[in-house]
Amino acid sequence: MITAERKPLKEIMDYIQPFNRILLVGCNECVTVCSAGGRKEVGLLSSALQSAFLSAGKSIEIKEHTLERQCDPEYVEEIVGMMDGVDAVVSMACGCGVQEMARRYKNKPVFPAVNTKFMGASERQGVWAERCQGCGNCLLGITGGICPIARCSKQLMNGPCGGSTNGKCEISKEVDCAWQLIWDRLKMLGQEDRYLDIIPAKDWRTAGGGGPRKIVREDLAG
Amino acid sequence: MSFSRRLQSDEFVVLAEMHTPKGVNISRLVTDARRIKDRVDAIVIPDMDNGIMRMSALAGGVLMHRQGIEAIIHVYCRDRNRMALQGDLLAAHVLGIENILVVHGEEMEVGDHHEARPVNDIDEIELIGAIRSLVEGKDMAGFELDGVPSFKTGCTIAPFADQKAMEEELALAKRKIDAGCRFVITPPVFDVDSSADFLKKAAALGVPVIPTVFLLKSVAVARYIATNEPSAKISDALISRIRKSADRENEGIRIAGETVAALKGIAQGVLIQTLGWEHRIPAILDVAGL
Repeated sequence: MITAERKPLKEIMDYIQPFNRILLVGCNECVTVCSAGGRKEVGLLSSALQSAFLSAGKSIEIKEHTLERQCDPEYVEEIVGMMDGVDAVVSMACGCGVQEMARRYKNKPVFPAVNTKFMGASERQGVWAERCQGCGNCLLGITGGICPIARCSKQLMNGPCGGSTNGKCEISKEVDCAWQLIWDRLKMLGQEDRYLDIIPAKDWRTAGGGGPRKIVREDLAG
Repeated sequence: MSFSRRLQSDEFVVLAEMHTPKGVNISRLVTDARRIKDRVDAIVIPDMDNGIMRMSALAGGVLMHRQGIEAIIHVYCRDRNRMALQGDLLAAHVLGIENILVVHGEEMEVGDHHEARPVNDIDEIELIGAIRSLVEGKDMAGFELDGVPSFKTGCTIAPFADQKAMEEELALAKRKIDAGCRFVITPPVFDVDSSADFLKKAAALGVPVIPTVFLLKSVAVARYIATNEPSAKISDALISRIRKSADRENEGIRIAGETVAALKGIAQGVLIQTLGWEHRIPAILDVAGL
């Protein structure tokens, strides 16, 4: 999933200070799962904003709505009827959702209420960790299902650096050494030979080195 | 007199561009540079121009310095992060480089290492600010330097397609100047009269403006630029002049030399660009009377 964290209240307030009628829009997908921008968080942020503005002597009207998916034009279209009555939109979706709102509702200022962080997985209740950087050419088949691009601090492709100690990365004892994980997994699978394979210098074009990326499925795009 | 002092004294400066080799054979670069040593104020050394991997501009600049020739080296953000950029800038000063030209790094797609990952840790404006910070004694993290470099920093104006794009480029140049640039290199000028409006507007930027004079080596090159870079304002008459000449190679040189001469009363200097024909720069200077 795409993970996110809510921005500090002060930053969101600074964005919307000049406006009186706000539409606060959540998303029912990734940001709901990581508890950053779903229906519940929309309600909490709305109350926090109302309260903070009231303390500052400003009355603000906030409409709340949570879309099924903010990165999908089909769902974003649903709130067209709500736009006339608002001065600005605050989106609690990831950056994809914020941009889709801004693309569809060009005459309304759209502000982000969350910081989009990374593509990750849940490690345990309330903890999400980075797993993928969307490099566009997946290496997991040869690295034991552990990504050295997303999980090695130096993005090393051919084994660990000298900073790997007792399975941990030199940047923090909280961070596993990706190459230790890769080695352990390959060994478990009886694929130690794979470890000796040299991964050639990566072609970063698929990771965005050639500019913004796009997928066109001719069979679907028509 | 140094390049910087000539600019400060409103003297006309003559610059020539020379590329580093793709390899370690420096004989052509050094020979071409020596040939014009006493006829130009500085040699501009691009750094992996157009995304083509070559010997670094820093080394090229140092080679010029060793020949007693002042250098202006390109610096850009595509291939180095802020650490490497600052480290190389400090090295450049220590090795005798006094002038920096902050340029836009072309996309990897146009170069010869398509698979490389672009860095772009900071952008041109931030790089110009970083250079100014170094000159003022601090690095980008705010730490004080033990020994402070000094640079004359310039920037470029990119070729533009139309009037609107020209205004945008001039506005961007203004931002670069506000950030710390003290001279500006313009896109090629082929006809001084038809570029007069642009040059007048560029002069209003308030720093020395140095137009590029690009050697038209053939009719094909002239036609290509006329088609793809409208801002160059290459007229049919100019193309016809080269086409009808009995000696097209020398006609291009004459045109470049005449353009240099024509700019002498209008701009603060010229940058002569010959893209592989650096051995013909003396002939251009002969025509220009320099």
